[in-house]
Amino acid sequence: MNQIIKEDSRYPSLLREISDAPKILYYKGNWNPELFEHCLAVVGTRRMTSYGRRVTEQLVGQIAAAGVTIVSGFMYGIDATAHKAALNAGGKTIAVMPCGIDVIHPEYQKDLYNEILANGGVILSEYEGTFLPTLWSYPKRNRIVAGLCQAAMVVEAGENSGSLITANFAKKFGRKVFAVPGQITSTMSQGTMQLLQEGAGVVTSAKDILDYFRQNSGFFSSLSLASKAGSPTTKKILNSGSNPTLEQKILEQLRAEPKEADELARLFETSAAQIGSVLSFLELSGAVVKEGSKYYVS
Amino acid sequence: MGLESIGIDVEVNVANRGLPGFDIVGLPAQSVDESKERVRTAISNSHVEFPQKKITVNLAPADVPKEGSFYDLPIAVGILGSVLQFEIPKKSLFFGELSLDGSLRHTRGTLLLALFAKEAGFEKLYVPAESANEAAIVQGVAVYPIENLEHMIAVLLGKVRLALAVYKETALSEVEGAPLGEFDMAEILGQEMAKRAMEIAAAGGHNILFTGSPGAGKTMLARALPGVLPLLSEEESLEVSKVYSVAGYIPPGGSLIRVRPFRSPHHTISQIGLCGGGTKPQPGEITLAHRGVLFLDEFNEFPRSVLEALRQPVEDGRITISRSRGRVTYPSRFMLVASANPCPCGFLNHPKKACKCTPREIHQYHKRVSGPILDRIDLHIDTPDVDVQELAQDASLKRFLESSIVIQQRVTEARKIQEERFVSLREVSRRETIHTNTEMKNAHIKKYCALSREAEGILLRAAQGFQLSARSYYKVIKIARTIADLEGADRIAPGHIAEALQYRPKAYGAT
Repeated sequence: MNQIIKEDSRYPSLLREISDAPKILYYKGNWNPELFEHCLAVVGTRRMTSYGRRVTEQLVGQIAAAGVTIVSGFMYGIDATAHKAALNAGGKTIAVMPCGIDVIHPEYQKDLYNEILANGGVILSEYEGTFLPTLWSYPKRNRIVAGLCQAAMVVEAGENSGSLITANFAKKFGRKVFAVPGQITSTMSQGTMQLLQEGAGVVTSAKDILDYFRQNSGFFSSLSLASKAGSPTTKKILNSGSNPTLEQKILEQLRAEPKEADELARLFETSAAQIGSVLSFLELSGAVVKEGSKYYVS
Repeated sequence: MGLESIGIDVEVNVANRGLPGFDIVGLPAQSVDESKERVRTAISNSHVEFPQKKITVNLAPADVPKEGSFYDLPIAVGILGSVLQFEIPKKSLFFGELSLDGSLRHTRGTLLLALFAKEAGFEKLYVPAESANEAAIVQGVAVYPIENLEHMIAVLLGKVRLALAVYKETALSEVEGAPLGEFDMAEILGQEMAKRAMEIAAAGGHNILFTGSPGAGKTMLARALPGVLPLLSEEESLEVSKVYSVAGYIPPGGSLIRVRPFRSPHHTISQIGLCGGGTKPQPGEITLAHRGVLFLDEFNEFPRSVLEALRQPVEDGRITISRSRGRVTYPSRFMLVASANPCPCGFLNHPKKACKCTPREIHQYHKRVSGPILDRIDLHIDTPDVDVQELAQDASLKRFLESSIVIQQRVTEARKIQEERFVSLREVSRRETIHTNTEMKNAHIKKYCALSREAEGILLRAAQGFQLSARSYYKVIKIARTIADLEGADRIAPGHIAEALQYRPKAYGAT
C-alpha cells in the first residue's frame, strides 16, 4: 500500500510543521518530493459563477504553467476547475480527499481523477480504505490542503463557505492568504470580501501570486506572463481603422462587462439580427466566447 | 379509417317471416350496435310505427370493422323506405347520428364524407343540418341539411323541396385553444434575440427551444407566436379541417379552419395522447397541431419515452400508427416550440439568484432530453432574465417595439417566396409537397440553397470551431435560407450564415 509516515524524510516538510499533522498519508500516483516544493492551495465555492470559473481557469492556468503545484480538494466547483486548469496548462496538481484513499468523491469526476494520476499528480488522504466522507472529514481535509502550501488563494466563497475554513487554517499556520475580488453584489463574493477586509492579499493577476513565490520560497520561473488586456485577435480588431465599426464598439462594451446579446441590441439600438451576425463573426475569430447567455472577451 | 374513407353500403332487409327482431351484422362496434335502440326510438317518435318484423341490417364489406354513430340515418332511411314504401334516391349518401326524439345531431367526420362523396361520384348528400356547412366546404356535391327524421321523411316522400346548403365562413372556424393574439409582440419588453428567432421560426416553420429561468418570459413568447404566423392557405386549411372533422373538434355549424392550431399539452401527457393511437387509432396532439404549433412547456419534464416518440413525426411530417385492428397514417407537420429551464432549480447563470444545483443534477436534467431530439430543433434560444420594470421605464425603447401584425406581414412575404420556390416540386411528384424551408431534405438544400464561396467558407470554419454535427450543419443552412427569405434576398450571404449560427445548440458546461 502507498503510504508515508510522518517520520519519513519524504513526508512534506511544510505539512509536518503543523500541530496536528496526519501521522500517515495514504496516496495514489507517483510520490515525487519536488511536487511539494512550491504549492498553492486554490479553493472556492461549489456554486461557482461563470466569473469564478473564468478567473480560476485564467489564473490557475498561468500559475500552474509557471511551475507551481496546485493543491485543492477535488470537490466540484472551483476545486475541480482548478485541478482541470492546472492539467490543461501542463502543470502539476494534488488532490486531497475527505474520504478513504480508495474512494473517488464525487464519483462522477472519475475522469478528472484518472487524469490527475496520468499527468504526474498525486491523490492524497489521511484515511485508508473505503472510508466515506462525513461532515467532519471535510474541515479535517482542509487543514491538509492549507498545511501543504506556502499560500492559499480563495477564488469565490459564500458567507459560510468551506473554503473560508481552509483560509483560516492557512492563516493559523502562518501561510499567506490571497483572495480574488468579485462583484460586491454577488453572494459568492461575500466570503472573499471578508478575507480582503481582514487583510488578505489581493489577486489582480497571476503575477501577484508568482511574485509572492519568488520572494518567499526561492521560486524561479522564466515564464513571461501574457498581459490581461485580451487576446491578440481582440487587439487586432480593436486597433484596425479609425472610425469604430459595430464590431469594435461591441468589443469595447464586452471588455468593460460581459453582456447578453439583448443588452447590446438595446444599447446600440440595432436589430437583434445584426447583433447576432456580428457576434457570430467575433466568436469565429476567437475574440469573444459565449457562456450561459452572456458574451465574454476571450 | 384515419383520414381515409371507405364506402360502406348499408343493406336493410325487412322480412315478413320470422320472429320480430332487429339485428346489425358486418362487424359493428358498440357504437354501431347501439344504433338499433336510437333508430327504433327515433322512428317511433317521428309518428311512424316501428315495424314488428324481422329486420336485418348488413354493413358491407362485411369484414371491415365499423365504428361511429353516423350509420343511424342510413339505417333509419332503409327501414322507413320499407315501411312507407318510397324509392330511395340514387347516387345519394345518408350520414348522421339520431337523437331519441328523431332530430339529427352534429356528427363528426362530415367533411371527410363529403370529400369521399365527391371522389366516388355521389351527387346528393343528406347530412344533419348542423353539419351541413362543414359538408358544403366541398364543391360539386349537393348537400341537403336535414333537421330531423320527420323532415327526412317529408323530403323523401317529395312533400318538401329542400334548399341546398351554401357554404359560408363562420366565426366558429377558429380552433379551440388557438390563442390568436393572446399577447402582442409589442407587449414583450426585452428578449430581442428571442423575438427575432421567433420571427425566423414562424417564417420557415422551424422548431425552436427557449431556455431560461422561470419568469424570463418563455411561455409568454410562445403564446405570442400564433399572432405572427401567417393564416393557413386554402390547401393547408382543408388538411387541418379534415383532421379536426375526424377528431370531432369542428363545432356545430363550423366551417373551414383558417387559424393555425396551437396545442399545448401538459407534461403528464401519455405517448398515445401525444402521438395518437388507442385500440381504435385516434389522432394525437401532434396531428391536431398539424400545420400549426405544438408547444411543449417544461420540455425536460416530459417523460423521455414520450419525447423520443416525437423523433420520426418531426422528421417525416406524418405518423403511422399500427395496431392489431388496423394501421392508420395521420399527418403531423407541426412547428415544435419547447421551453425549458437551464437546470432543475432554474437559476443557472441567473444574474441575481444563486443556482442551488450540483453539476451532477444539471447533467442529469439535461440527459432527460436525448441528443437526437435536440438535434431536431433548429433554433436554440436563451431567454435571459429581464428586469421588466426597468425596461418599462425606458421610453426610448418603445420606438423599437414591433407589433405582431407588422411581423406577421414579413413572415407572410417570406412564406410566399418559399411557396414559389417549392411549387415546381409538385409537378414532379404529387406526394412530395413542401411548403416551408424546414421541410427541405438534404437534396433540396443542395438545389435551393446555393452558398457564395465566402458564405460557405464561414460555415466550414464554424463547423470546425463550434463542432457542429452534420445535421446541425444543414440546419444552419436552412435557417440562413429563411433569414435570406425574410430579407427578400435571392442568395444566402455571409451575414445570413453568421446570424443563423447564433441559434445553434449549446453545450451545458457540466462535468
